[in-house]
Amino acid sequence: MIELPPVLVYLLGAALIPLFGRGRARKALLVAVAFIGLACSFSLRPQTSWVVPLSGFELTFLHADRLSLIMGYIFSFIGAAAIIYSLDVVKENGEYICGLLYLGSALGAVFAGDFFTLYIFWEIMAFSSLGLIWYSRTERARNAGMRYILFHLFGGCAFLAGIIIHFMNTGNIAISPIEQGIGYLLLLIGVGVNTAFIPLHTWLPDSYPKATIAGAVFMSVYTTKTGVYVLARTFPGAEAFIFGHPFHFVAYIGGLMALYGVIFALMQNDVRKLLSYHIVSQVGYMVAGIGIGTAIGINGGIAHVFNHILYKALLFMCMGAVIYRTGRMNLTELGGLAKRMPVTTITCVIAALSISGVVGFNGYVSKGMVIHAAELSHMHILVLALTLASVGTFLSFLKLTYFTFFRHTENDIARVKEAPLSMLVAMSLTAFLCVAIGVYPKMLYVILPDVGAAMHYDAYTPGHTMGTLQLLAMTAFMFVALKVLIAPHERITYDIDYLYRKAGRGIIWFCEKPLMAFAGAIDGVLKRIADSFVWFSRNPVAASVILLTATGTKLMRPLNYVSKEAEVKRLTIEEPRERLSIGTGVLLVLIFFLVYLIVMLIHGWLAP
Amino acid sequence: MVLGIMVLIALALFLYERDTVGFYFLYGAMGVGFFVLATNLLSMIQKEGRQDD
Repeated sequence: MIELPPVLVYLLGAALIPLFGRGRARKALLVAVAFIGLACSFSLRPQTSWVVPLSGFELTFLHADRLSLIMGYIFSFIGAAAIIYSLDVVKENGEYICGLLYLGSALGAVFAGDFFTLYIFWEIMAFSSLGLIWYSRTERARNAGMRYILFHLFGGCAFLAGIIIHFMNTGNIAISPIEQGIGYLLLLIGVGVNTAFIPLHTWLPDSYPKATIAGAVFMSVYTTKTGVYVLARTFPGAEAFIFGHPFHFVAYIGGLMALYGVIFALMQNDVRKLLSYHIVSQVGYMVAGIGIGTAIGINGGIAHVFNHILYKALLFMCMGAVIYRTGRMNLTELGGLAKRMPVTTITCVIAALSISGVVGFNGYVSKGMVIHAAELSHMHILVLALTLASVGTFLSFLKLTYFTFFRHTENDIARVKEAPLSMLVAMSLTAFLCVAIGVYPKMLYVILPDVGAAMHYDAYTPGHTMGTLQLLAMTAFMFVALKVLIAPHERITYDIDYLYRKAGRGIIWFCEKPLMAFAGAIDGVLKRIADSFVWFSRNPVAASVILLTATGTKLMRPLNYVSKEAEVKRLTIEEPRERLSIGTGVLLVLIFFLVYLIVMLIHGWLAP
Repeated sequence: MVLGIMVLIALALFLYERDTVGFYFLYGAMGVGFFVLATNLLSMIQKEGRQDD
């Protein structure tokens, strides 16, 4: 069987979309692309590679090993689910083109074997996903899209600079762990933007809620997870030395993300903004696993990538279906949809239980693996943060599901219809996998990077299971008791982006006022100098005479009581112009160079 | 004061004796308390009004 880079299937699909109109032919093409892409990813075997020599470099467009393969499987599966989901929602060809380019470039990034190829796909991802935001065609989306791309351009520049410095230092472009230095820092910043490290995360909750309904499903999957994948390749178990002691700083960044994301998610009213903050939080678990750096830690981080993609895409699908049917996106405006949208409700509850790490669902397996890895590495603070974040996550999803589906409301939205069939098919397939992996986790273990370590992990030990059940049961009880305090409010939430926007306005003011005034002053001085040169060059002899006369007059002023300055100023007007011949001009230039040469010989070349 | 003592007890149990019966119940309650407190404190510096930019 021919093993093709899956990216080619999606790029070809994107190129063919405009030729298929907007009817059934387009749907058939999209389904074909989804399944061929899926088959292409699943047909790849480890150690497959496609190397293209280019200008002395060997660019590796396909490098398949266990880590890239698991990413390829889940990316192409959820890509297929998102395409099926979007069949009845998306109207414009451009949105499909952006979606396929985004999906294809994400697969191109995870199968890239060198940093330059990775960078190319990294940037295509940023620009194609921008289209998914802008196709909302609202002013909010346009503004959020601009902020999104500015952030990603900044991250892309840092990433490229890190790659170049790494290449200059080592002469190696293969994707591998980076040696410490400025290149290390820049690459970490570049990866950190895509992975939504605190405080580089603000583009995520800002832009995802403003994307199109189908666009948000695509976006919830690829950008951050590609970042985690690159982190696993380049910074596994990254350490910094503080007072001579090694400190797994990336793991603790993950712990911070897990807590920070949950706290802000709990404050949200916009359902997709709530989910966006949970991406930050869940990516925190992945980053923690990668940052711990042990076999079980990296397995846990990657297993969480796999599971998170399933339940987070499902959550965005469910909320997309709710927005599609009701036209409302705030919890304060929703409620009572369980009877009208039963399949959406059931799949959303499955996704909520999965992300909360409830026993029997996929999130329980991978979250437990990451926390277990932290316990084995004696990182107690990290264990504390991750366990606390799982309490907040469950609390947050009790809030989301209750206020969207179960709260009694007299609202007219209680008369809406169930989501279209294509949406329900995609949601049901994804929900099935969430349960299947939870019940039978070995189907995930066999595809993890370190299958030996994964097979030794038992997710269902009595202590872990009972502890999780106790924790979540108490959380549910407390939710019921404190529902009033947790209820959603119509509220403008400020995150760190408030400071960025303030700083941004400050920079714009600085550019428009003091900087422009300074530039104007410099411009004026330069113009005056240029005018003087023009004036002098018109008649150098006469100008020299005028300058000498003016200087002499000024010097003689203390001795000569009668001022001749007015007379001198008139000289420029009264003096007849004298023109030099070309020969004289050339002679003057030659004399100038001769003098310059003599000075150089004496003070430059011949100087000891 | 009471909250602070409870947090300290939960932390001590978390670090040294997680197998205590009912520890996770206590930890769950403390966790919810922490989040309710944190979100309400943050809410005090937030503006009321429709969520937008």
